[in-house]
Amino acid sequence: MKNRPLVAVLQFPGSNCEYETASVVRESGMDSLIFRWNQWKELSDSAPDAFILPGGFAFQDRVRAGTVAAKEEIMDLVFNQAQSGKPVLGICNGAQILVESGLVPGWENGRIESALAANHIHGRSGYLSRWVFLRAKKRALRVSPWLGMIGNSAIPVPIAHAEGRFVFAEEDLHRVSKCAALVYCDENGVETADYPVNPNGSFMNLAGIMNKEGNVLALMPHPERAFWMWQIPPWVPGVWGDRRTSLNHDPALAVEKGPGELFFRSLAGYFGLLSREEV
Amino acid sequence: MDLRDKLKDVIRERGLAMTLQESEKLAGYVGRMPTPLELHLFDTMWSEHCSYKSSKPVLAQLPTQASNVVVGPGEDAGIVRFCTCDGVDWDLVVAHESHNHPSQVLPVEGAATGIGGIVRDVYCMGANVTGSLDLLRFGNPTGVSGERARAICRGVIEGIWKYGNALGVPNLGGDTRFHEGYDDNCLVNVVALGFVRHDRIAHSFVPEEAHTEKYVLILAGKSTDDTGFGGATFASADLSDLTEKGAVQVADPFLKRVLSEANRTVLDMLFEKEIPFGFKDLGAGGIACVTSELAAHGGLGIHVDLDEVLVSIQGLPPEVIACAETQERYGLAIPESIAEEVLEIYNKSFELPRLFPGGGASIIGRFTKDPVYRVIHRGIEVACAPVNCITEGIVYNREWKSSPIPLIEPDSRPVDPPSDLKKMLLSPDGASRSPIWSYYDSEVQGTTHFRPGEADACVTVPIKGCKAGLAVSGDGNPWYGQLEPFLAGAHAVGEAVRNVVATGAVPIAATDCLNYGNPEKPDVFWQFRQGVEGIAHACRNLGLESEGEHPLPIVSGNVSFYNQSSSGGSIPPSPIVAVFGRIDDFTRATDLSLKTPGNIIILIGPREDELGGSLYYRSCLEHSGGKVPLFRGELEYEMARFVLDCAEAGISQSVHDISEGGLALAAVEMALATRKDARRGVILEKGFADPVILYSETPGYLIEMSPEDWEGISAKPDFAAIVGKVTDDFSISSDIWKLELSEVLEEYTTLLDRIIWREEL
Repeated sequence: MKNRPLVAVLQFPGSNCEYETASVVRESGMDSLIFRWNQWKELSDSAPDAFILPGGFAFQDRVRAGTVAAKEEIMDLVFNQAQSGKPVLGICNGAQILVESGLVPGWENGRIESALAANHIHGRSGYLSRWVFLRAKKRALRVSPWLGMIGNSAIPVPIAHAEGRFVFAEEDLHRVSKCAALVYCDENGVETADYPVNPNGSFMNLAGIMNKEGNVLALMPHPERAFWMWQIPPWVPGVWGDRRTSLNHDPALAVEKGPGELFFRSLAGYFGLLSREEV
Repeated sequence: MDLRDKLKDVIRERGLAMTLQESEKLAGYVGRMPTPLELHLFDTMWSEHCSYKSSKPVLAQLPTQASNVVVGPGEDAGIVRFCTCDGVDWDLVVAHESHNHPSQVLPVEGAATGIGGIVRDVYCMGANVTGSLDLLRFGNPTGVSGERARAICRGVIEGIWKYGNALGVPNLGGDTRFHEGYDDNCLVNVVALGFVRHDRIAHSFVPEEAHTEKYVLILAGKSTDDTGFGGATFASADLSDLTEKGAVQVADPFLKRVLSEANRTVLDMLFEKEIPFGFKDLGAGGIACVTSELAAHGGLGIHVDLDEVLVSIQGLPPEVIACAETQERYGLAIPESIAEEVLEIYNKSFELPRLFPGGGASIIGRFTKDPVYRVIHRGIEVACAPVNCITEGIVYNREWKSSPIPLIEPDSRPVDPPSDLKKMLLSPDGASRSPIWSYYDSEVQGTTHFRPGEADACVTVPIKGCKAGLAVSGDGNPWYGQLEPFLAGAHAVGEAVRNVVATGAVPIAATDCLNYGNPEKPDVFWQFRQGVEGIAHACRNLGLESEGEHPLPIVSGNVSFYNQSSSGGSIPPSPIVAVFGRIDDFTRATDLSLKTPGNIIILIGPREDELGGSLYYRSCLEHSGGKVPLFRGELEYEMARFVLDCAEAGISQSVHDISEGGLALAAVEMALATRKDARRGVILEKGFADPVILYSETPGYLIEMSPEDWEGISAKPDFAAIVGKVTDDFSISSDIWKLELSEVLEEYTTLLDRIIWREEL
């Protein structure tokens, strides 16, 4: 008998964020196990309640980031579970895999409808590590099991990618806003398309997109790296910066949760693990 | 033809670096004309890079022992005790190496394989690698060879991010300096660190049990090709021509990541079953070195069958299969009885042959009681040497000649602080390094507390459930090296120690990489000796963890000679040191950003008139000479002790060490690090318009604390004094001058991006 919901973290060859991701899931009151790409049967037998595809460089980003991993047999299982409504989160490289698998935006079955293109920054190419601010879209807050606790204000999280710019086909542009889950903004929640607020030139400042039902979320930033207050840089501005500054040299710094924790707490809430006050 | 002539011919034909005398010594060991494989094996083993033949007698003076040292220099990485958490003892594993020559020739691949090699050194001690640093020296980006210097800088940084980020090891910074002395020979020093359970350290020799039980050697990883053939020899030659690109290895971080996961599974299984094993990465000299060293250091012989090696190119000669430096491979000595299970993990569970066609794990050798190193290829014996000659080594006592540089001070020292500070901040050496760091993933693994640039040292919280923090910094000033090689060594230790101490961490170990020119030149060898003496002197003075009882131990390191150009010019003497510290409770770690208006700034370390090699001389007066700051060991120790005491008392709100640009630039950097919605500045005490007070690089610290906390310190040391106060105005000023920092912020932050990447000169 399972006491706590089980969240499966998938390890593809080249994944590199699986351990810290599984760890923060456990810190959020759920169980988490890491499954290797060829542990199809073990994954199937353990019947997870949710799935996370962590960051990294699955299959060396061969062809295009996420492409090869999306064709692995284990993704058929994730695909079916996602279709049946189980929560699925792809972080960074995991987001690239979800997009390449056609799960998001998922307007029409079996079609790859978005891509994560190379960052587009004037005079700069390649990888970019940076802290950014995110804000969730209203509908996403309501329907996504990953966003219920995010709230309306801007939250700081880091990005670390070379290919994080959401792009879509011309004929789909009219429906992109429906899949918008999170957008880049400044510390006051104001959206602009300019670098560095939008750090990669992403269409409509998108940092994360979801499927129609909202249970599948492809997210470029790394919430697991902003899970604890001590992971937040000392120079971060805004409300979260104030909280971080007030914890300087305070033993509570070791245990206070950071903005990234909200994603995982949202999932815990979705599974009914939070008390009424917490919700 | 007699043996001597044959040896002469073969050295020439094969392009070997060994001398005729060395080849005769080898012929003596094997009792005949050596085979090609034997020649290449010993050419590598006796290269400067592997044998330390010139440096060994000098390195003997470095302090390598202290009560916390578990493994000193000698194996692939050094190990010191770190902490105990929930009854488990954790040790810190560190390694430090250079990848200078490959990076000059092929910057992307050279820098990438530099990280690849150094992390393998830490992995192969059984550790999880939790950080890497890059200590980079490039030519003058705006000088006569600027175009090449900029291209090399871009390439090296690309190699670092492409490899390091994919590997999933957080980049914990390092430092970057520019000096025209590196125009023809850049330096790429790399440090890797990790943690291992004290009872689960792996060693790089076949265990004692192999004397009574059958042990085999498994080679796991990438399939062997011809890349990197002659790599160690290449690293020990000057860069007179750049046709030797074949000697640079090709890195594969993707395979490395999977291989590391597989290794972890294998090692955990062996430890669980309490099966003794030997484990070593393949670096210089490839299969030949790993097989001979695993056997020789365990007092056994080995029989290697090259036909069992998985190769990606058919028809390679045996010496190439045996000595190529193909990346991403490990050698594992285990009992034959467990071999099937181990092969299964590599080849089935982790599917190495599918992920890397032609790769995987296979048994390539068997250990023998007969102490002979024997290699077979297609049924023919291609090497046969007694193993003791492999461990014996080789030593040269090089000549040296004292060659000090005359100290010339500038004729006059005009001071205009706003303009001087702008010049320093907007110089390649003074500008923000954030354009470089923006390419690095410093947060993977989720353990990073202070990223590069946020404090004087990066701080991580590496062990889950444990409050102990690790602080690490690497330093070395080429301008000091050029003027005073002894002080360059001492200050490399001193500055790295100060950076670690500034965060509140106690230094527990150090590593060094000694980068010099041709050791056969007596003046260069003197520079080398001076640098080592400087390092040893500083380490003996800075044993902070043992409260002076033991020195700060140097537990790992590397020597890189022959850093010079075709014209014969040597690089500036470049001893580079990394220091590792522990802070028992990471929540007490202190960053460098100013916090609270009304607080005071305490100067630790009186200023002295010693501006030689300073950023002020270089940027403002275009003068590179002068008297370098002295290293005052006792004072340095006392100052560090005081800073640590303040940290422990929780009264330091921000701390920054004084180095390039002196007190004034240190204060500016503390202001520039503030939150953009809580900007702070500094007002210095009256009348500060003296270059010695403002810009001297005499070692020291600035500490921000509240006036009450300062008053509360009962015994104020005489090296501490109030020099200014924190304001909410984003500027630095005294009663007679002021610099608005908003005027320089943007340019300071983007300068390197504009020069190096956008080529806006």
